[in-house]
Amino acid sequence: MREVAIIGVGAHPTGRFMDKSLKALAYPAIWGALEDAGVKATDVNVAYVGNSLGGLLTGQEGVRGQVVLQHSGITGIPIVNVENACASAMTALRGAWLEVASGAADVALAVGVEKMNVGDSARTIGALSGVSELDLSELGMQFTTSYAIHPKINLKGRMHDYGWTAADFAKPAVKNSYNGSLNPLAQHRKPLTIEEVVQSRVIVDPLTLLMCSSISDGAAAAVVCSADIAARFSGKVPIRIASCVLQSGVYRLPRDDRPDSATTNAYAAYEKAGIGPEDLDAIELHDAMAPSELMLYERLGLCSAGEGPRLIDEHVTTLDGRLPVNPSGGLCSRGHPVGATGLLQICELVWQMRGEAGKRQIEKRPNVTMAQNQGGLLLGQDSAVYGCTILKS
Amino acid sequence: MKVLNPENLRVPSEPGVTPCLLGNRCRACATVVFPKMPVCPSCHRNGAMDEVEIGRTGKLYSHTISYFAPKGFTAPSFQAFIDLPEGPRVFSLIGSKYPVERGVLEDGMEMRLIIEPLADTPEHKDELTYKYVPANGMRA
Repeated sequence: MREVAIIGVGAHPTGRFMDKSLKALAYPAIWGALEDAGVKATDVNVAYVGNSLGGLLTGQEGVRGQVVLQHSGITGIPIVNVENACASAMTALRGAWLEVASGAADVALAVGVEKMNVGDSARTIGALSGVSELDLSELGMQFTTSYAIHPKINLKGRMHDYGWTAADFAKPAVKNSYNGSLNPLAQHRKPLTIEEVVQSRVIVDPLTLLMCSSISDGAAAAVVCSADIAARFSGKVPIRIASCVLQSGVYRLPRDDRPDSATTNAYAAYEKAGIGPEDLDAIELHDAMAPSELMLYERLGLCSAGEGPRLIDEHVTTLDGRLPVNPSGGLCSRGHPVGATGLLQICELVWQMRGEAGKRQIEKRPNVTMAQNQGGLLLGQDSAVYGCTILKS
Repeated sequence: MKVLNPENLRVPSEPGVTPCLLGNRCRACATVVFPKMPVCPSCHRNGAMDEVEIGRTGKLYSHTISYFAPKGFTAPSFQAFIDLPEGPRVFSLIGSKYPVERGVLEDGMEMRLIIEPLADTPEHKDELTYKYVPANGMRA
């Protein structure tokens, strides 16, 4: 396999853009990435376009990638449409990486785009329910419920087993809201307090409104190329993809004692990158509901069971900490346009590694970083998709 | 009235017979799954799954109250996972006679299966499905 570098990234701000279509959202992200990379539209050999809900919500059921890219002047090349729920964009990046790593292409484009604001939030919530297996969603199961009581997360169980409190659940939201307040691309830019988060409206007990990522429009893109030709295009420091690992959920019976799938996914990425969790300088992870960040600390090997809140209390994962997590503001603050999220994570890490993150720049510029993305829900108690990408500068 | 996913559910036609779920048991490794699937998720054998009646009773594994609902459902509502004695852990709504309030359910409590319309809404009032209720009825 060839070494692959990210040479350009671009993103559309995240939020509510009622007047913008999928292609209008994607265009500034795509051209932001092309111009950042110093790549012409005609240099791109192949493209992968991630999107999850656009078929149901916009009516463009098929060929969304071709539609979006034609609008941005990229035509004729192989274009692959990727739907993998909230991990669609990470899956698109994996496709682009694999094209270049295998030698099939020299320059590849990965795009993630999502349009969730369609003027009818019940319709959007209905579409989101569809990223759970139908046997669950047709019985009225809510995606948010899965975070509250699903066997794989079971926050209520955590309260019982480790004494976690509502204030603990709020801590990632508070930390990330501060980071997001410094991010001009973020959807929610107001720094929050523990009290505000805990006292906001209960959505699914024990999750409150400000612990949940919200309905969001957005897009992100990355240009990757073979590392040995990176200097041909861009004057910027190329960011190497040290590993990009995709995994699907497994069917688990109640007494399944296999390691968590987020853990096996992360450790596969660590192994391929030749690092351990202790080598990471920054992480963007999938905090679709704020408390899931605490669970992911354990599952990514950052702390032992039940210790998650301490990493925030002791300023380990804050922007000024040893291992900042979600410097962008994460899914709750920066925003979670589901099919764009994985690449929004990648954009943030690339900016941080180049020292281009503005007011939220991590003081000691990170050299080794990881993006962790997941999505969907299956019968059998697992998420449908897990993706981890490790970057090195 | 029609039964939602009749392949998953035995709705008795005569009185005195209790309803149940229909799952699969693997002839090779005895793994029980719900809903049915043709390949055993434990031993990955194909074509070794037999239909089995399950889930007349269960234990409440976890539950919460959802204060929002997608189209066709009402809020607040209980959302729960039930551990069946036969093995599977299933998602379930809770019977509509129970007030949706904290303290009504307790994790670990014995539950039993009932048949009820999916939701009291125009979309789902005529669709019968399974729900669970506390086996010993309403608490005092």
